[in-house]
Amino acid sequence: MLQMFLRRLFLGAITVAIVSMIIFAGVEILPGDACTAFLEREAQGRVLENCREELDLNRPAVVRYLDWASDALRGDLGVSANGQRSIAEMVGARLQNSLLLAACALIVGVPTAIFLGVVSGLWRDRPVDLILSTGAIFAMTIPEFVSATVLILVFSVWLGWLPGIVLTSANAPASEFFPEIILPVVVLAMVMTAHILRTVRSSVIEVMNSDYVQMATLKGVPYWRIVFRHALPNALLPAINVVALTIAWLLGGVVVIEVVFNYPGLGRMMIDAISDRDLPVVQAIALIVATVYVGVNLTADLLTMVANPRLRTLYTRK
Amino acid sequence: MASTIDEVFCIHDRLSFGLTENGTDKNNRLFGLAAPDPIKCRTREEDMKRIIALATAAVLLASPMAMAQSGTFRQAHEYGFGAQSSLDPISNGRIFQITEKIMSRLVRPGLDGRPSPDLATEWSANEDATVWTLSLREGVTFHDGTTFEAADVLYSLNRVLDPEMDSPARSAIAMIEAVEALDDMTVQITLDTPFADLPLQLMDYRLRMIPEDSGDTIATTGIGTGPFMVETFDAEGTTVLVANPDYWEGAPGVARMEIIGIPDGQARLQALLGGQIDMERGITAQQSVMFQGSDRFTIQEIPTGNWRGLVFRTDVEPFNDLRVRQAVRMVADRQELVDLVLGGGGIVACDTPVEPNDQYRADLSCPQDIEGARALLAEAGYPDGIDIDVHVATLEPTWPTLAVAYQQQAAAAGIRVNVVQAPTDGYWSEVWMHEDVSATRWNERPADQALHEIYLSTARWNESFYQDEAFDALLAAARRELDFEARRALYVQAQEHLQETAGTLIPYHVTRLVGVSSRVHNLDAVKNDAVRWHLITVDE
Repeated sequence: MLQMFLRRLFLGAITVAIVSMIIFAGVEILPGDACTAFLEREAQGRVLENCREELDLNRPAVVRYLDWASDALRGDLGVSANGQRSIAEMVGARLQNSLLLAACALIVGVPTAIFLGVVSGLWRDRPVDLILSTGAIFAMTIPEFVSATVLILVFSVWLGWLPGIVLTSANAPASEFFPEIILPVVVLAMVMTAHILRTVRSSVIEVMNSDYVQMATLKGVPYWRIVFRHALPNALLPAINVVALTIAWLLGGVVVIEVVFNYPGLGRMMIDAISDRDLPVVQAIALIVATVYVGVNLTADLLTMVANPRLRTLYTRK
Repeated sequence: MASTIDEVFCIHDRLSFGLTENGTDKNNRLFGLAAPDPIKCRTREEDMKRIIALATAAVLLASPMAMAQSGTFRQAHEYGFGAQSSLDPISNGRIFQITEKIMSRLVRPGLDGRPSPDLATEWSANEDATVWTLSLREGVTFHDGTTFEAADVLYSLNRVLDPEMDSPARSAIAMIEAVEALDDMTVQITLDTPFADLPLQLMDYRLRMIPEDSGDTIATTGIGTGPFMVETFDAEGTTVLVANPDYWEGAPGVARMEIIGIPDGQARLQALLGGQIDMERGITAQQSVMFQGSDRFTIQEIPTGNWRGLVFRTDVEPFNDLRVRQAVRMVADRQELVDLVLGGGGIVACDTPVEPNDQYRADLSCPQDIEGARALLAEAGYPDGIDIDVHVATLEPTWPTLAVAYQQQAAAAGIRVNVVQAPTDGYWSEVWMHEDVSATRWNERPADQALHEIYLSTARWNESFYQDEAFDALLAAARRELDFEARRALYVQAQEHLQETAGTLIPYHVTRLVGVSSRVHNLDAVKNDAVRWHLITVDE
């Protein structure tokens, strides 16, 4: 088990390193740099030279990448190319905001999704299941920016109940984000609920059809006891992985939602940084997001192993 | 993100005389003789509101001391310069939506667009217009309590002129050789060339006065003499301004302003619709439909000197042939382009960059002439027409539409246009002024500056590589000419010369739509930098 864990950890680190290289190369290949993005039409001659010198853009890309990577390994994310502020400081507040958004969406979304998933699994093919499943397909397939815009139009422009977009500044305490955060949370919860609901539903159906549930039924175990005691613990296992992926998706900065709602999280910061060609910031965010993805998936796999005796014994008996 | 969206709002606002219903009244625009009526609104109700508002303003002006500030006015900015955003009025990253409220200029545009006193109360020139003397306003204090005087003017202007600063505002006053203080309240400006329109240049929206020696801190403190003072500056989030009770024109009507960074245009529109902000300047013709019939908003229509167009490089085949250049411009049906591309929100231009309401604008006509274009092309040796690649990018959302509409119009004369979509990134550095034909856009400038910066043989931004000694000579003569009528005649000649020979198709000047919440009153319906912010009030 420990060996397995270390191996996964090592692979994760390599993944993160490769991602950072791809991102660096990607931003480097885009036409223009931090200076042309900022100076626009002024980007000529001496002004451009001065700017490049100041931002240290004249050294070869490989050298700049290696410099950055060695600093990042020591935990120093450096300073932004524009404005020269400490990236750790800038990213810190944004990360907190993205965490807040993710936490709210999870608190609302996961219990709802599991509850609805179990309901529609148990009452398979009944009207309630048909309604929930169809609703889930809609929630999954309508792009977030569309559902976001529709919600804003209805609740903010027509009804005037909720603020449409987030105007709170990045460094404000969490409490100040209410009630502005409600609409983005609802949109996120809708999308993730749909995904988790469908996974839970199919796994509930599968478990309820399994031999041991049938055995229990034949033995005369009361229905709800079968459901809670024997079926659900097994049925919810696959949900762990879906929830983990959802968490990773949320923490990675839900770019579209953050831009539509003007939410000051990691995703919007990423977009701004790309437009500014602010390589150090883009790199730092990519590193954080990649780490989160790898970390959350690793945790989910471990959790699954812990929760599922079959997987666990497979590895410990080796 | 250092997008020129912001630039669209940061304008040299000049000389907008009467904006009549059709926006093109010639008598008005040429001499500014008619009474200016800068407000053009959609509804009668709005007219009523305006009358009430003006009456209120008159009462308020009469008793400035009795007026208490109340309410908060909210507006968005594009955060267009990202982390480089700054309160330094002359830097590249200035946030105009903030500097316009916290700092004043020496001269500002009056409601009629002509130079009117701000921190300078009067000005006069010597006989050949090379030495100007300005009297400064007495009793004005900066937000930090220091008194405004000549030393601050010297410092502010010299800072712009300092080559080390690389300020984009420098080109507006590059003719200034020296600035001296005659006494604490009098400044003398010496020019290296006669320049009869110096006050026009001093109206530049960036030339705002800051305290002496504040250059190192101004980017974050924003200390000026304007009607509002910076309480907290947060470019990315919300910048809070509070009323300056000591403002020289009278205490403001609004207690507090919040200027909020919202990079996404759609989000800004939603914020306005949802009542989270009170004003948005970047409404498109398509979006304005959403405001029609609503009593919660009004739309101000404000003609500007901003233009979009297509540049044909005059130094390459086939456009080095004058006849081809004339043909490619002759095929455009400009009114149709205004209707198709801007939904009618523009004023036709005949390849002159000088804005419709400028006192130097030439009265030109340029109807579509397909047969004439064909004949010219044949004469130039292209009886079967020509193939051209027009480069555009979504950097300016109207470019692709403009190019496609032009493609259809030009096809009739045998000009086969291939529209090439270039990436937005690097458009200015790699496409514009590199490809033979590319789209361009400019923000308004005074006539002299527009003609100099874009068409003079030696201009840095001579995007069409236009080389014409006769044109250069006309401009030089105009600057030297002290008699207004004679000077105007020279500028008009220069524009006629351009229409004859230029390589740049300028089909129209854009009319700006400003969406305003109906809780805001007394907002001048004039160009951005002529708005008198201390007058506005908001409902609680």
